[in-house]
Amino acid sequence: MNVNYINPFITATTHVFKTVLDCDIRRQHLSLKQTRAPTFEVSGVIGLTGKANGAVALSVSKPLAFKLVEVMLETRVHEINSDVADAVGELTNMIAGGAKTGLSHYELSLGLPTVFTGRSRTIDFPASVSPLCVLFETLWGPMAVEVGLNAPRSAGSADNPPRPNAFHPSLQENYA
Amino acid sequence: MSLNVLIADDSSTMRKIIVRSLLSLGANGLTEAGDGEQAVAHFKAGQFDLVLTDWNMPHKSGLEVVKEIRADNAHVPIIMITTEAEKSRVVEALQAGVTDYLIKPFTAETLKEKLGKYGL
Repeated sequence: MNVNYINPFITATTHVFKTVLDCDIRRQHLSLKQTRAPTFEVSGVIGLTGKANGAVALSVSKPLAFKLVEVMLETRVHEINSDVADAVGELTNMIAGGAKTGLSHYELSLGLPTVFTGRSRTIDFPASVSPLCVLFETLWGPMAVEVGLNAPRSAGSADNPPRPNAFHPSLQENYA
Repeated sequence: MSLNVLIADDSSTMRKIIVRSLLSLGANGLTEAGDGEQAVAHFKAGQFDLVLTDWNMPHKSGLEVVKEIRADNAHVPIIMITTEAEKSRVVEALQAGVTDYLIKPFTAETLKEKLGKYGL
């Protein structure tokens, strides 16, 4: 199975959290998901289409979701509301956008983000792939980035991808 | 600073972040649009000195917004603020009439520096 496509998502997540939130995140372990339910209580999901198809999810704990709103909007929240949903959705969008640049050989287009709460819903990953889950630790709580991408090697080798034709500074180092 | 600025982004979070920066720079006359159709409607109904627009929005994309604005107004500066970072997309936006381009994510300092080029 091609799993190297996860690296641009890890790089993009680190860059987004540092730039938007001034937050250093620590990557924990990478695993194959055994379920399509999200890891934590608040999840933003974006569909990816192109020469590869799938979805990416940013799944965060409730305390982390509240902290994200506090930092981004300078507003304290204590319950899931539209501000929480929108902030998680926009962070998911930025992570997907950054990863898309690093996976330019797949010519991906992003869908609009959807956000849901709870762990009873499943994420619409392609049926043919086993989604990957990367856990991160932050000062404010845990989170996960989950990616299921039907990524054929014929669209460009993920082991040796072409240099991205991009302006995204954080992703350039991957190919230096 | 009496500049009328139109801010189009489907993320209320991003609009609030941009508005906060604009207000800190002394801007007033701020109008927000949550999708591309609203953005075009607001633009046609008002007089704007600067337009800030996302690319990926419901109903009408930022690129369509830019093309419709340029059909009406050749001069207003338009800054595209987007996650679309590939060179080909930047070129596409510039060819459609975008004046300047800012890739998400950005810091508050980067946004303010960009806005400073347009009279703020």
